[in-house]
This record gives sequence, structure tokens and C-alpha cells, in this order.
Amino acid sequence: MDKKYWKFFDELKNPQKTKKLKQTEFSKETTSEFNVENLYGLSRRKFMALTAASLAFATTACKDYRDKGVIVPYNQKPENTLPGKANYYASTCTGCSNHCGLLIKTREGRPIKVDGNPEHPSNKGKICPIGQARILNLYHPERYKKYFAKRNNVWQEIDFAAFFSDFVLALNSAQQQGKEIAIISKPIYSPSFARILEDFQKKYPTAKIYTYEFLQPYPKDLAWENFYPGSEKFDYDLSQASLIVSFDSNFLATEGNFVQNIRSFVSNRNVNKLDNFNKFYAFESDLTLTGANADHRIPIHPNLHIPLLSSIINEILVKHEGKLLNKDLPLSLLKEKFSKFNLDALAKDNNLNYNLLQRLVYDLVQNQGKSAIITGDILPYDAHVLGFLLNEILNNSSNFKFKSKAIIAQSKLEDFLSLTNTIKNGNVGAVIVLSCNPVFHFPLDIGFKESLSKVPFVISLLESENETANYSTHIAPISHNFESWGDFFDGYSTYSLAQPVIEPIFSTYQMESIILYAVEGKMSNDNYHKYLMRYWEKEIYPKTNSAVAFEQFWFSVLHDGVLVLNESQLTKPKPDFSVVQKINIKSFEKTWTLSVRKPYFILDGEYLNNGWLLEIPHPISKVTWDNYIAISEKDANSLNLKTGDIVQIDYQNKFLEAPVFIIPGVAEHSLSIEAGFGRENAGIIGEKVGFNPMVLLSKGIEYNGYTLDNVKITKLHRTYKIASTVEHHSLNDTFLKDLHKSRGIIQEGTVEGFLKNKFEIHRHRDNISIIPEIKYTGVKWAMAIDLNKCIGCGACIASCNVENNVPVVGKDQVLRGREMHWIRIDTYFSGSPDNPEVSLQPMLCQHCDDAPCENVCPVVATNHSPDGLNQMVYNRCVGTRYCSNNCPYKVRRFNFYDFRNHFANGFFYRDTLKLLNNPEVTVRSRGVMEKCTFCIQRITEARHNALSEGRELKGSEVKTACQEACPAEAIIFGDMHDPNSEVSFWRNHKLGYYVFEELNIKPNVTYIAKLRNKKEEGLS
Amino acid sequence: MNQIDYSVEPDVVQGSLSQRDINEAISKPLETKPTKLYYLALGISSTLLLIGAISLALTLYYGVGLWGINQPVGWAFDIVNFVFWVGIGHAGTLISAILFLFRQRWRTGIARFAEAMTIFAVMTAGLFPLIHTGRPWLDGYLFPVPNQHHLWINFTSPLIWDVFAVSTYLTVSFVFWYIGLIPDLATLRERTNSKVKKIIYSILSLGWRHSNRHWHHYEMIYLILAGFATPLVLSVHTIVSFDFAVSILPGWHTTIFPPYFVAGAVFSGFAMVQNVLIVIRKIFNLQNIITLDTLEKMNKVMLATGLMVGYAYGMEFFIAWYSGNPLESFVFLNRAFGNYAWAYWIMVSCNVIFTQLFWFKKIRRSIVPMFIIGVLVNIGMWFERFVIVVTTLSRDFLPTSWDYFVPTIYDIGILLGSFGLFFTLVILFIRTLPVVSITEVKSVLKTSQPVHH
Repeated sequence: MDKKYWKFFDELKNPQKTKKLKQTEFSKETTSEFNVENLYGLSRRKFMALTAASLAFATTACKDYRDKGVIVPYNQKPENTLPGKANYYASTCTGCSNHCGLLIKTREGRPIKVDGNPEHPSNKGKICPIGQARILNLYHPERYKKYFAKRNNVWQEIDFAAFFSDFVLALNSAQQQGKEIAIISKPIYSPSFARILEDFQKKYPTAKIYTYEFLQPYPKDLAWENFYPGSEKFDYDLSQASLIVSFDSNFLATEGNFVQNIRSFVSNRNVNKLDNFNKFYAFESDLTLTGANADHRIPIHPNLHIPLLSSIINEILVKHEGKLLNKDLPLSLLKEKFSKFNLDALAKDNNLNYNLLQRLVYDLVQNQGKSAIITGDILPYDAHVLGFLLNEILNNSSNFKFKSKAIIAQSKLEDFLSLTNTIKNGNVGAVIVLSCNPVFHFPLDIGFKESLSKVPFVISLLESENETANYSTHIAPISHNFESWGDFFDGYSTYSLAQPVIEPIFSTYQMESIILYAVEGKMSNDNYHKYLMRYWEKEIYPKTNSAVAFEQFWFSVLHDGVLVLNESQLTKPKPDFSVVQKINIKSFEKTWTLSVRKPYFILDGEYLNNGWLLEIPHPISKVTWDNYIAISEKDANSLNLKTGDIVQIDYQNKFLEAPVFIIPGVAEHSLSIEAGFGRENAGIIGEKVGFNPMVLLSKGIEYNGYTLDNVKITKLHRTYKIASTVEHHSLNDTFLKDLHKSRGIIQEGTVEGFLKNKFEIHRHRDNISIIPEIKYTGVKWAMAIDLNKCIGCGACIASCNVENNVPVVGKDQVLRGREMHWIRIDTYFSGSPDNPEVSLQPMLCQHCDDAPCENVCPVVATNHSPDGLNQMVYNRCVGTRYCSNNCPYKVRRFNFYDFRNHFANGFFYRDTLKLLNNPEVTVRSRGVMEKCTFCIQRITEARHNALSEGRELKGSEVKTACQEACPAEAIIFGDMHDPNSEVSFWRNHKLGYYVFEELNIKPNVTYIAKLRNKKEEGLS
Repeated sequence: MNQIDYSVEPDVVQGSLSQRDINEAISKPLETKPTKLYYLALGISSTLLLIGAISLALTLYYGVGLWGINQPVGWAFDIVNFVFWVGIGHAGTLISAILFLFRQRWRTGIARFAEAMTIFAVMTAGLFPLIHTGRPWLDGYLFPVPNQHHLWINFTSPLIWDVFAVSTYLTVSFVFWYIGLIPDLATLRERTNSKVKKIIYSILSLGWRHSNRHWHHYEMIYLILAGFATPLVLSVHTIVSFDFAVSILPGWHTTIFPPYFVAGAVFSGFAMVQNVLIVIRKIFNLQNIITLDTLEKMNKVMLATGLMVGYAYGMEFFIAWYSGNPLESFVFLNRAFGNYAWAYWIMVSCNVIFTQLFWFKKIRRSIVPMFIIGVLVNIGMWFERFVIVVTTLSRDFLPTSWDYFVPTIYDIGILLGSFGLFFTLVILFIRTLPVVSITEVKSVLKTSQPVHH
């Protein structure tokens, strides 16, 4: 029965009216037709409206509002730009001479991340740590923003027109007086810019071009040119090399095209193809990253390389003559030349392992045509000649790539000597410095610095302050690589293009533009861009025989960033053996030597203003923010030196004071130091960073290389604090020795042992737990790191820093042990301090299934995601640090301060650097714990893409920043539940192990145990 | 010195004091003007407090980066101080509750003071979990406050257990202490001439009229609270020890920690009570109420708990070896011979070696040596926590992440400040409230008990 309920009489009596009332719950005047004007007096609503309006006025009017200029709304959005979506542009890195291809990620028009261009044949999608971190220099607040002229010894700000009129005046006056115009530049690989300079020389015939590179391997280049006339430079191609022997070469980290070297070196370090596993012997005086990756590393005094090479050559010629495949050798000549060298005696005299040397000789003979002898850039001329000769004897030239002559021939040191002489004679009217730092880079005794005062116009085109700027009369700011156009030829067959990905931040011109202006006499923002296109249309386009129109061709090359032509490569020139005849091989003298080496992360010192790069720990010593003199433990003991003690180096009455650092595996009486540090004008960041060994160099480097012989070392009774990210213990300390092995952190074997099943990773994966196991369905993320491939270059660290907005903490905080890197490379030494075995291991959050950090967090700020990630909720974190204490891997990082503010007085809060941050990653505040997220922002992006395309997310769609950067492709990431994924293959690999598996916390990073190739078969 | 006949319990209160004498003796500090010495002591302690406050203020402004903590050593002075002060806070409840249940009459002279010290120590200790966080302004997240985000605390985290354990302990200790104070406050109310004081005492004594019924209820609630507080004595430091024992770090992850921590806490708590009482009884002439016998008994407790602690030290080494776990044995060898060996040996000598002197009666009963040993015990116990927290963290699983902790002036400033806070509260207390329970002491007077003549 339908009973009717009523609440009041009206409802019963007048149901229609009630219904209407119910429908319009609020009476008319309070809702739809509300109008402030109709209100009488100061009603409540009017009052509220006025309050709100005045508050709005007050907040906008009184705010420190800065007019940001034209704001372009995205309702008229630029083509191909979608807010929140990244755009990628191909470009080319101008950091060093390798000119790797780049793929620059931009968000809303600003570059935020750089990776390698996968299309580029030499770097194939990978770049070095410097390439990764250079993006900081784009936004560097200390970049030059204005033009300056020195008038009456005082710097004055001028505008471009004034600068340029001075520039032209300088050129014209020099021209009229018949004086030289010296253009000093880094090596020029840009065909179009070379053409501009040619035109420039036509217009100003007195102009001369000088190019140089920092710590240029003059002796190596000279030896190469002499030995292989017709070729100027070369690269190694180790992809076919099954045996590599290096002599004081750091070819995996600083020398030559090292990104390519890493790739080709590790391509034969695949544990699934053990027949094809290369073998690497390294002879070196300092412990370099390259030596750390050797199967056999033999520390030898730098002076011993030449006698050793000679003895090896002699041994091969005498004992294995019949087996030699190369039949074009002047055998009798060579035999005679090397007859006085005896490997047996050399081994005995210098306490070297004779059996190992015999093994080396055997391996060399066995691997003819498939081995590479690599001599280091620091070695003298003779050593390179011998190295090239040995390669030639062993028929190894297929492992070299012969470069054709450079577009603009590189200058010799003599050229600079004659330049300074010309200057001193008053015959130079203008010096134009193109984005380089000759005042800092040249040996002092050339006298370049002093001579500059005699030049009426020294015009420096620079990105930021350097030593040369101080000696200039004019400074012009120039655009960063990412704001510039450019083209590059690699000397073989590859042309690559650089394109701007952002409007010049400080309204600068690129240096090509300014020179072009001088040539053409007219200026526009895109003059070089147009020139470049014209040049390509005329010079490059015809070579391709392309069927498409030029414009189409141009845009496709611009899109790809690279153009590989089918040009015939330079065939191998005939070696000139008379070069060998001419060298006068000195016998070994064990004197104190100091080798000056290229730094790992700051290139020529230019990046000494890049905090990210200074804070990447040195691959061996883990030192940040400094350089030091590496010394062996034995020498340190005999000189009564401890790490951090300052010593004085005396070389030909030139002095250097620097601290020593005891490094295991350094040869006796051999010191080494990295150059590029100790700059005087490097801005806030580079101020007082390191020591400058360039003061020791002199003209002799052209022949002797960078190994300074007969140095004197004296202990000064002062110490210096060196910030290393790890504690260093003596390898003789039995209590602390080899803990990484006894604890199973590093598990290693030999190829032979593995093949014979002697080496197996012990594993006990019975799943014992008192708590119910959490079942994961769907994608579950995991990582595998192949320690056979990881060479410890640090590209992953740099890439992670950029991707995840990792702050720079500064030297004082590193000294306190507060570095913030989410991924680090742990270096372990085992064996004797004289010749340790080095093990490297990238360490990052292991995203354990039963993560010990999670259950101790009182506020659940760290917890687990359904796809197996250990996540951090920054907003919730109160910073008890309990999670970090309980983490066995110690990969959690705590913001002890607001480091962006704490470092260098808020350096990272300065205007332009704000643009650097990845908008997808939270910038962490002080008091918050942070750590590796497996690049969750990339996972989320991939998931969104999959969702919007209506398909399942696949593990292979996500690449973490470290994985993407790793030149060795040692990092594999993906879905462990996908049985076909690479990562699940490695997780179940025989060599896969977890660090601290016995803790049963179920980490999700699998390490593939390193195998060392110590194959012994064949030699009785 | 007289031979003492241990077969007969000595008088708890000596010197044939009458009830009135006791009223006089105990109320005197409350009714007279403080001496210069008092102001000097207050000046020193509040200076320390100020140093602590400045260090803390700077820390709050700039961040915990001012401290010496670093990547592996995430906890150092903050948590060391916390555990130390919670430990100090253990003697009070043990004396007032457990000894009460065991009908130890000698406790009466020291119970009130020990309880007050407990409260002050726990208050001091309670600060540290709050200030040690990276973002102290968000400490509210540590409490189970319902909120619209449905964010909840993590009950598996020992830090949350700490929050509950310490706050419960503080509350119960305070209630217990206050209940015990009520009859005394009534006595003071009767004695005072000042109007203001009278009002305050009247309010605080909650209408106590010494009636029979009041006494009946009082005795009952006191017994219940004693029973309630007794398990807390054991639970608080057990739970504090869980902060370490529940983790997976070798050197922390041990089952011996709960009893070891409780014994250590009683040990250090007694040392602190003994130290302060020696001064108080001298200054306020309470030698007859806080007798040498009482002090000797405390020394015996210290000797016993010191031996327990020593046993724990030895047992840790034995288990480290016996477990066959290389990580575990490394940690303990590292404690004794590694980078922080100096701290370890300070701890062992102060806690185990020097306390053995208490085997000698002469030392047990002479003021200066026992005072010095008491101070050493507190130093030793502070270092025990330092050894546990810092050495363990500084060298754990991965040798590459090891680092050495060095305290900064802010660490030391806050440590001094914690002593300043504690002693300022103690010094204010001795002039504000009766340091000895008037009621309870009267109850153990010879004259208050029915005796055979």
C-alpha cells in the first residue's frame, strides 16, 4: 500500500506548491540573477566581493612582480610543441674533437637532457659524462652576457655595434700595416666554418689560423704522420680486436674517441660468447680507469715502455719470425735495430713477471691481425713509433681507422713559438681567440701570455670567463653549442649537423656568425644559418646524388643530425720504416718522473665551472673537486708522505706545489697528475679547485710527450684536505682487506674457470620468510648490470644527475660525506698495493622486494609500488634518516641542507639555472631523503603512452637515464615478468648474483659477475 | 667505621628524628631564601641551556647539516642523547614502583627525587626524536592524527613504538609522581604563610585533608599505579632498544638488546640519582634521611647492573663469534680495535672496570669515590650508546660507503643544552617541591611503627 507521509500541513493540503518549493530549494534572488548593483548598502556579499577584490589587488600590486616580457600563450602554440610533452632534436656536441651526435630533449622550448644520437655512427646514442653535464653550461649564470672592451685598463660594457666596429678597426688596421692577424682556435672540424675562415683569409690576407688542443699528443701525431705519410690522425676500432695491449694509455676514458673505444672494447666482452672474449694487457705507470679494466695490469715505470716495446719486438722477430703473417717487413733491418734488447733480461732487471711477458708475446703472435697495440698520449715520440711498428709487424692495421687530412691543418707547437716571436717583434696587429684558452693551455716558456700585451687588439670570443679573457682587449659573448648552428666532418665519411634548440638565452651570437659578419659585412641573426645551408647545398648535397630537392634533403639531415656518405675512406698508407731506423732508443733509467695527464671530467679545464662534473668522483681515487699527485705506497713510505701532504715538484727549475694521494698500483718512482685544474679565472665554481701542473710543461713536450723526466720531489710540511667519497685504507691492513670478496659484494672469476665450471656463483634462493610473500602481477621492474661491460666511466652518474635534478653539494659537504649521487661506482682493490686487482661496481637503489628501509619509516614515506618499485614520497618524509641507516647498500641520500641554497650562496637558485631542472622530477627540499627511483617519471610517461594508445605497457619501452647513457650498455632494465625480456634473461643467468643475497631482502638489481680473461692454453 | 650487621635491617631514617623534624628538614628549602650557591648553580645550568637553545635554533634555521652526521652515520649525538636520557629516566620509576612493590623501605628517602629526575630526563629525552628529524615542523606526521588525506603512521616502525612508549612512560611517571605529592602538598599548604603559595598548594593538593578515607584511597591508587608503572620500566628501554634490534645492521640486530638496554638504563639512572642526591643531601642537610646506607644500596644496584652490562658486552662478542657471521664478527672486532676503539675502551673501562671498585665496602660507603664512579658510569653509559649508534653505522655492509663521524660544535652545544635543561629543571624543582616524600619518610620512622618495648 502506498502510504503518504507528510511533514506539515501545507504538504498535505497543497502538494503542488510544496513540490515547487522543493525543486527550487534556494529562492530566486540568491542564485541565478545575482547582481552586486542591486544589493542595497554593504551587504554580506558585497563585502565579500570587495574583500576578495582588494585582496587580489593587494597581492598583485604589492608583489615583487618582475615583468617577464612577452609571454607567449600556448593557445597559439608553436608548431609541434605540446605542453608536457618532450621534443627531441638531433645535434652535435662541440665539447671535444670527437663531435658525438646528440639528441637533445626539450620541454616547452628549453633543453633539459642530452643523450647520444643513436644514428651517429661513432657514438651510437651514447655520450660521455661531459656531454651529459654540459647542459649546465648553457644555463650557467656566469656566462658572458655583454660585450666588453678594455679602455685605459678598465673594462667597459659596450654594445654589439661598438664591439664590432672595434673588431673591424682591428682587422683593417692590422691589414693596412701589413701585420698579422692571428686566429687561435680549437681544431676546426666544421667544413663550412673552414670555408668562412678561408674567405676571411682572402679578405684579410695577413690572417693566419692556429689550432691546438689541450695536452695535444704532439709526439703521437708526429709519429703517426711520419710512419703513415698521408694520414693525419687515426682512431682505434677494437670491435675486431681479440687482444689489446696498451702502454700508459687511457683510451677508455680520456684519449681519442673514447666513447667509441668503450663500445668497441666491450663488444667483445660478452659472457654469452666466451670464444670471442677479448684479452687486455695494460702496462701503465699510473692506475688509470683503462688499466683498472685490464685482465693483466702490469705497473711499470714510464721510462720502461720504450725498452719493453723494443724487447717485445725483438722477441717476436727472433723467436716467431716464421709465424709472422706480414711479409712486407724489412726484417733484417729491424732485427739489427732491436738485437740489443732482450725480454728475458729486461724482465729480470726490472722485476717483471717473465712468464706473463712470454704469455703476452705468445698471445700477440697468435692473434696477428686481431690485436691492437695502443700507446698512450703522454708517451714520447719513440714509444709511439715502436707501438705503430709492433702493430705493423703483427699486421694489425685493420684495427685502425685512418683519418684523411684535417680541413684546417693542426698547428705544431713551433707555430705558436713563431707566433709569439712575431708578436714580440710587433708584427701582429690582432689576435682573435675563438672560444679557447691559450693563456692557460700553453706551456709557460712559450711566453704567449706575456706577449699578448704587445698586441693592440686581442679579441676573445668566449662563453664564460677564462684566463685569456684577462689578457684581452675585447670580449664578445658567444652562444652555447645548444644555441648554435654547426656542421662537422669526422675525417672519415660522416657529416653531422648542430642545430639550436633554444633561442640564445643572453642574446648572443655564435662565433661563426661574428666572423662571417666580418667577411660579408652584413649582419643578421641567422647569417650563419643561411650560409651553412648555402654551403651544404653547394658542397655536400651534390655528393649524395640525392633524388630529393635540397630543402627536403636538408631537413632530413637536420632531423637525423647526421649524414653518412659513401665516400671512399682513406686506404692505409704504406708505412715508412725508415722512421724506425731514425729513432735512437734510450736504455732504461729509473728516475723520478711526473706524467701530466688529461683529466677525466673537465676536458681542458673549461668545465671547471661545472659543479656536476667536479663532483663526479674520480674513477679510481673517488676524489672530487680536486686533482692531486698520485704516488705509490712504497714511494710514499720512503718519502714519509701521507695522503694529503703537500709536496713540491721541481722540474727544470719550474715548481709545482700539490698534495699527494697514495694510489695502489702506481709504479715506483712514477708520479702523475691530471691537468686542467688550478685555474685562476674559472668563476665561482672553479675557484681554487685543484692545482695547475701546466706550470711545469715546456717546449720539450712536442717530442717527449707529457712524461716529465728527472723531477725532484720534496715534502713540504703542510697538508691539504682532499675530498674523497670513500675511506681509503691501506691494502696491507689485513683487518680491512678484501672485505668486498669475503662479503660477496664482488664475485669474480676467470673465463677459463667458468668454462670448466670451476667458478659458479653460489646461490641459495630458497624463499624462506615468516611473512606472506607479496604477489606481483603485471609488469615488475628490475635491472641487471653486467660487470663485464661496465668500465666505470661515470656517464651514468652524470646522466642521472641531469635527469633527476641531483644537487651539487660542494667540496665541504663531500668532506663531510654528504654527496648526493643516486648512482655511484664503487671501486674495490684486492691483492697487493703494488699491483692490485680493481673491481668496479655501479651501486644504486636495489629496489628490494622486502626493503629494509620501508618497514622502519615511521610515516610510510618510503613504500612499495605494485610494479616493484621502492618509492619515496618526498612530501611525507620528515627526515628521520632511519631508512638510510637500515639500508645495507647505503644508496639513500639525505638533504642535510637545502643544497641548492647552501652551495656557493644559493648558486643553483640563480635565475637561469632554474631552467635547468627536469620538470618531471621534484626538486627536493631540505630534510628530505631521496634516492634512485628507477626513473619513475620515464616509467609513468611510458605507461601514459601505452594507456592512451590502448595497449599493455611493455618493459622494453622504458629506459632509465643511466641505462640510456651507458656507453658500454652494461645496464639492462625492464620487466622481469616478461620471460622474453633481456632483464629476465640476465636475472636467471648463471653469473647473475645479488649483493647481500643472504639478507633475504630480495633486491631487484642483478649483477653479472665479472670474468677476467686469463686464458693460459697453448703455451707450454 | 662501625661494623654493620647486615642480618638486621638498619634504620631507614637515622638520628632519631621526630615527625616535626622531618617536616622542618624537608620543607626548609621551600621556605627560605635561596643562597648564592643556588643562584650560581642555576646560572651555570641555564647557561648550558642557553647554549643548547642557540645551537638548536641555528639547527632549526639551517638544517641538521650543521651536525656532524653524514651518509652512513645518519644518527649520532641526537639518538645517543635520546637513549642516554631515556636511560637516566629509568631509575626513578624503578625506585618508586618496583622497589615499592618489593616493600623496600629504604626507597622512601630517594623515591620522590628519583621520580622527578625521571620526568625531567624523559622530557629531555623526548626532545631528541622531535628535533632530530630533517623537517621538525612536520613532526606531527609521527603521531596518529586522523586527516583528510588518509595518511597514517607505520606501525611496523620502531620509531612509532618509541613515540608511544616514551609518551606513555612520561604520562604514567608524571601521574605517579603527582599522586605521591598530594599529601605533601597538603602538608605544605598547612605550613605556609604566604597567600599566593597557599592558593597554589591548595589547588594542587586537590582538597587533601589527611582523612582516613583519603589515605585509604591514596594507598590503593598508589599501589595500582606502582603495578602499572612496573612493566613500563622494562618496556620503555626494551622498545628503545628495538630501534636498533629491529634493524638489519650487524651490531644492531641482536636479541640481547632489550635486557641489555634495561640493565644499562637502570645502571646509568642509579648513577645519576646517586650523583645528584650526594649533592642535595649535603646542601640541604638531609644526611639523616638520605642515609649512607641508602647510598650504599644504590651502589650495590649499580654494581649488579654494571655486571649485567659487562656480561652483555662479553656475550655480544661471544655470539658474534659463535654465530659464524663474518659481518657480525667484523662489527665487534671493529668496535674494539677499529676506528672508534677509543670510544669502546672508554665505555668498557667506565662501565665495567671502575664499577668493580664497589666490591669494596669502604668505597661503597665513602662519598667522594662513589661520586666519581657515578660520574664515570654516566660517561661510560653515554659512550655505550655512542659506540652502538655511531661505530655500527660508520662501518656497515659496504666498505665503500664507510665514513667517520666527527661531531661539530652544534652537536656538542645541544648535548650541553640537554644537561642544561635537565639540571635547570632539577634545580628549580628542589626549591619548589619537597625533594623527599614527607609522608613516606614519616611512615618509615621508627616511631611511626608499632614496636615492642
